[in-house]
Amino acid sequence: MTDAPAKSLTTRTSRRSILKGLGAAAVGISLSGKKYSAWAAAEEPKLNFYNWDTYIGETTLEDFKEASGIDVNMSLFATNDELFAKLRAGNQGYDVIVPGSEFVERMIQADLLEPLDHAKIPNIKNIAPEFITDAPYDPGRKYSMPYTWLVIGIGYRKSKVKEIPDSWKWVFDSDAYKGRIAVMSDASELFRNCFKYLGQSLNSDSPELIKQAEAVLAKQKPNIKSFHEDNGQDLLLSGEVDLVMEYNGDIAQIMAEDDDIDFVVPKEGAMKQSDTLAIPKGAPHPENALKFINYILDAKVGAAISTTIQYPSPNAAAVALMPASYKDNKVIFPPAEIMAKCEYPRYLGPEFTRLLDEAMTRLRAS
Amino acid sequence: MATRTQERRLAFLATALPPIAWVVVFFLVPLGIVWAYSFGQNQGLTEVDISGTFANYARALQPLYLQIFAKSIFVAGVTTLLCLIIGFPVALAIVFASERWRPWMLLLIMLPFWTNLLIRTYALIAVLRTEGYANFTLEWLWNQGSWLMTLVGLQPLGDFTPLQMLYSNFAVVVGLVYVHLPFMVLPLYAALDRLDKSLIEASLDLGAGHFRTLFSIVVPLALPGILSGIIITFVPALGAYLTPDLLGGPDSQMIANVIERQFKRANDWPFGAALSFLLMYATFAVIAFRAYAARGKPADGHGI
Amino acid sequence: MALRRAPLEYNRLWQMRLWLFAVFFFLYAPLVALIAFSFNDSKRNTVWRGFTLNYYKKLFNNEDLLIAFGNSLTIAFLATLISLVIGALAAVLLWRYRFMGKAAVEGAFTLPLVVPEICMGVAMLLFFTRVLPWPNTLIWPLNLGSIIIAHVSFCFPFVALVVRARLASFNKEQEEAARDLGANDWQAFRDVLLPHIRPALIAGGLLAFTLSLDDFVITFFTSGPDTITFPVKVYSMLRFSVTPEVNAASTMLILLTIVLMVFMMVMQSRSQKKA
Repeated sequence: MTDAPAKSLTTRTSRRSILKGLGAAAVGISLSGKKYSAWAAAEEPKLNFYNWDTYIGETTLEDFKEASGIDVNMSLFATNDELFAKLRAGNQGYDVIVPGSEFVERMIQADLLEPLDHAKIPNIKNIAPEFITDAPYDPGRKYSMPYTWLVIGIGYRKSKVKEIPDSWKWVFDSDAYKGRIAVMSDASELFRNCFKYLGQSLNSDSPELIKQAEAVLAKQKPNIKSFHEDNGQDLLLSGEVDLVMEYNGDIAQIMAEDDDIDFVVPKEGAMKQSDTLAIPKGAPHPENALKFINYILDAKVGAAISTTIQYPSPNAAAVALMPASYKDNKVIFPPAEIMAKCEYPRYLGPEFTRLLDEAMTRLRAS
Repeated sequence: MATRTQERRLAFLATALPPIAWVVVFFLVPLGIVWAYSFGQNQGLTEVDISGTFANYARALQPLYLQIFAKSIFVAGVTTLLCLIIGFPVALAIVFASERWRPWMLLLIMLPFWTNLLIRTYALIAVLRTEGYANFTLEWLWNQGSWLMTLVGLQPLGDFTPLQMLYSNFAVVVGLVYVHLPFMVLPLYAALDRLDKSLIEASLDLGAGHFRTLFSIVVPLALPGILSGIIITFVPALGAYLTPDLLGGPDSQMIANVIERQFKRANDWPFGAALSFLLMYATFAVIAFRAYAARGKPADGHGI
Repeated sequence: MALRRAPLEYNRLWQMRLWLFAVFFFLYAPLVALIAFSFNDSKRNTVWRGFTLNYYKKLFNNEDLLIAFGNSLTIAFLATLISLVIGALAAVLLWRYRFMGKAAVEGAFTLPLVVPEICMGVAMLLFFTRVLPWPNTLIWPLNLGSIIIAHVSFCFPFVALVVRARLASFNKEQEEAARDLGANDWQAFRDVLLPHIRPALIAGGLLAFTLSLDDFVITFFTSGPDTITFPVKVYSMLRFSVTPEVNAASTMLILLTIVLMVFMMVMQSRSQKKA
């Protein structure tokens, strides 16, 4: 399988340990990544955290260092695909990563993640129960812990819409806002929400459904101004478009700067997601990683993080500590009835991915 | 004479070994891996089984992808042409500038390009968007014009509708020209610098106009530089994906965007490799042809 | 007669001046916007909210950004140096010698120009994880080695191309003359060839430096946990917001470059005065 990269990694890390003069590690030169627990006691106080930019509290990393003495080095990636593309060739020294839920499933299937020892993460009790029981991408949370969750919906400018655009129709199937619409450019996000519009589950893997969605979108294409690359909120804020398909957290962030903006989850339901914390195979400091994950799931720490990033948090204990402006914010926490219609996207295999991608290429080329 | 040949040999090896060794180890080997991948298929999510299949190439040659290739070549070609037309006078200006001014002008051309591409693109967006500076200026001018009209007694101009300059193929070309201009200017400058100015003077003395001189004397002498500039501009423009992503409209999908998706979202490295290599074979053929054609011509200004 | 400009003083032509002005305006208008936005009192780079020096303060306190910046400059500098050497050698090799397999070598030198960046990035990723693992526990700047190597691989052909165009105008007889006068190959290279290709080296070096400084695709794939660069950091901000801190950093870079250039100009004119 992926033994070659794991071996090259252990050569690097064992060099580091030998340099540090920890005798016990000398035995582990030829150990594969799976036997990391044998040298748990010999880990140096460092952690390589691979995260999205600014996706952490302002002082979380310093506070963690004070509390545990472990120095966290945070590197950045921009999209889940890049994370996956980089890790699939071998882990280059990252201890904790922050993949989206759909990618967690991919990574589990590709055997890229370490199982988590729940005994070492007592703060798991802080997590809202539905994130443990209803996590189809990682049943029982064997490999990942939830960090934030998100839902896709429509951000809009109140003064420019005639009525609240609470249906996907306004974005996918109507020329009422011709030239003032921006949709996502990611094939999975775009097409699957279109499935919801067509009344189907976003996890149906029928090729006919893809064709149908493609036809709907191709018809709507003249009305779309831009297929944005995750910066839809900027388009809305600067007045380029009036309707944008975006994540609730992103829209919540710009609502702080402009009162004329609001957000709604369409009544047909939409895609929900959850960014998670996971440990990739071959991590050089797995024990520190577990400590770090546990620390993040602490109520106060979670509250500090949510204050900074203003994304919905799955940490019930942390949410309880937040002010009403966050807890009762209908954009950050949409009503339960509409969330009941939202689904997590499942990884449906390489063939489905290929069909989706070709449909997207055709759509963009048409 | 023996030592002379030995010395020659040594000189040859000293010149040849470093670049060749580098290219082989740090370029051909990595590229070879990806080339092998283009003949493989996905096995599971992370491994590629190199089975010697041509399925990826067959898929890449479908009309859907060929059409995108053609479109990308067209856009890159337009970009290169614009860069050439805009950049040639600039290169001339730098060459004819005095020794004092020359480094400053070179610096002024390069300076925008030491700013990060993403930031520069955002800045370009800030200028060109609906509520951007360009439109603000145009609106101001429009209003002034309107006011002038009323002064004279004519009907004022109607409401100003902002120009939609972004999210279209036009914006993509503007963005690409903006990014690639110095890639054209620098090689042109390097080639024009040794231009024997007395030739131009002679031509002018003999009665040829400036443009005639330009096309009959300057261009042929600077041809190697022009060709380098064209290659250096065209190829990266063809492979650009960030600019079309950020500035383009729903129609602006270039082949580089498709290739990028294969390596990332679609997780289909063999197919991405096949597309990349097709792109490379085609571009390479064009370059080789030009190099061959240019080699046949003597660089002395006779006939082109 | 005294009022008419000399025939070759193209730069006095009003058309030329207008053209130059238009080009520089086009190039610099977005930059002015960029610098203006570095004073913007908003987390985002989109709408003007008010004047503040906050982001400059944040920039100087933002260790990560400064380290990333430092890494980028180091990589660009080293990669440019190596690219100049290898690129110049490659150009001279192709220009001067005839040998078996020359066409293939020429093709190999041109290939890096043609490879799509992401393909190159993936190729380098695979190379540095499976073929030649680069230990990332080395001290700075050696730990940037894999990134520098990757950058050289795609930068040196640009240098080679520019130098070759320049060599096309070189008169071989000058070199023969030097040899006849007793210079050996190295001296002929250093004293005759090198000065001739100097403008091309400068132009190629500037090109390589720019390419390296701005690259993020290939850098992303070859960087490890401790080796983040400025473009990678900026690009990763795409999801949430490119804050004005980044604008502040770019403004500082522009200022720094201008200061450096002025310094070099002054030094050069001083040495010329002495000579």
